Amino acid sequence: MASFTASSISFTPLSSSLNLNKGLAKSSVSLSINGISFPSHGLKSVSRRFSVSCAAKPETVDKVCEIVRKQLAIQPDVAVSGDSKFAALGADSLDTVEIVMGLEEEFGISVEEESAQTIATVQDAADLIENLVEKKGSA
Amino acid sequence: MRMQCLDTKFFTSTSLVPMQLPSRMETHLWYVKPNEVKSEQLLNKYLEFLPKSEKEHVFSMRGDELRKGALLARALVRTTIARYQINQVSPRSLKFRKNIHGKPEVDWQQIEDWHPQQLHFNISHTESLVACGVTTHNPIGIDIEEKERKIKHSISSFAKRYFSQQEVQLLSSISDPEIQRQEFIKLWTLKEAYVKALGRGFSGSPFKTFTIRSAAASKESIHLSESSSFENSDIVVESLEDSTNHTGDWQFALLELAGSHYAAICSRKDCANIGSHPMKIGVWRTIPLVEDEYVSGTNSVIAVGGLM
Repeated sequence: MASFTASSISFTPLSSSLNLNKGLAKSSVSLSINGISFPSHGLKSVSRRFSVSCAAKPETVDKVCEIVRKQLAIQPDVAVSGDSKFAALGADSLDTVEIVMGLEEEFGISVEEESAQTIATVQDAADLIENLVEKKGSA
Repeated sequence: MRMQCLDTKFFTSTSLVPMQLPSRMETHLWYVKPNEVKSEQLLNKYLEFLPKSEKEHVFSMRGDELRKGALLARALVRTTIARYQINQVSPRSLKFRKNIHGKPEVDWQQIEDWHPQQLHFNISHTESLVACGVTTHNPIGIDIEEKERKIKHSISSFAKRYFSQQEVQLLSSISDPEIQRQEFIKLWTLKEAYVKALGRGFSGSPFKTFTIRSAAASKESIHLSESSSFENSDIVVESLEDSTNHTGDWQFALLELAGSHYAAICSRKDCANIGSHPMKIGVWRTIPLVEDEYVSGTNSVIAVGGLM
């Protein structure tokens, strides 16, 4: 059984607007989540963590999503959530660096190069921010 | 050689024109424009070249254009390397691995009838262009950016945050905002290309720890566009850390590609290159399996610095 944090999962016949799926397994079911098609055999490696958030507050995650949306000019129909990977949203290195700057400005923190490298998802960024804000507060 | 059964007789691996490896002093650059690849059949053919893990990566991208870009990047790197093989190798049979710092390289031992080659490559892509650079014997890093790319922050605050002091000074000395933006983008691509050539990752070579400038700019504040009128339009890198970084080992080239992009190429100077010879680059525009066009010497390739 697959675990997802998406609120709705529907099974649809193999389809993709680019028709790329024709190249894949002939008889397999594709999962469509938020309009993105995943071939069923790929489920295991496309790991969607079941995240129990004792991590960052939802407001922090939301703010990060907002900053990311703006920087990457993401279409309204593309969902951005804690699980979203920056690379999968089309962020290149210049975008990533701008996103980090945006987060520094928004939250009044300073992110070191090494930490910036470890941020792969929105959740990672939110967790790091709260960590830094907390440290700043207790300093 | 076994021919593959396909939807169309045009899209076969044998459509890849074999290439001779670049010499030690040369760099080859191949690029694809996504808007020139429209055929779904062709895209499906490219998809067949990818192993499961790469297909999954393509499908993990959020949006059609991003998926197409990711697919073309893998198709370009696989078909490009396949061209240089002595025996006809299917792009599908190539295997890749990452070095200890995460830089991708070819895993020769995994390929059937392997002929290890001193082939180095590096890719970069934007929404509208995908490029792959190839060298022999010496590591290479490339970076491309759209000429018109705007950044959200002020150039001054961005530079102060990420660039070296000398670079900040140079950029702030430019009064025309448009020229300043262009110089910023060029500098970014050069710094990225250097870090990618080093292969140590962004945090292995933080941008603040080195300066890239034109060789002519040692005393006066001459930025990259102005230096092409000087005799020595070489681009050089200086380390602000300790001197064990052998920065003299690296050479750069900066060009305007396809009228739309800045492309920076950094490669280690070949040990046989005793003098300071500029980089020789051959550039091809390609639609893999369909057409290749040698574009060096045309308007598609305009030297900005560091080239003959």
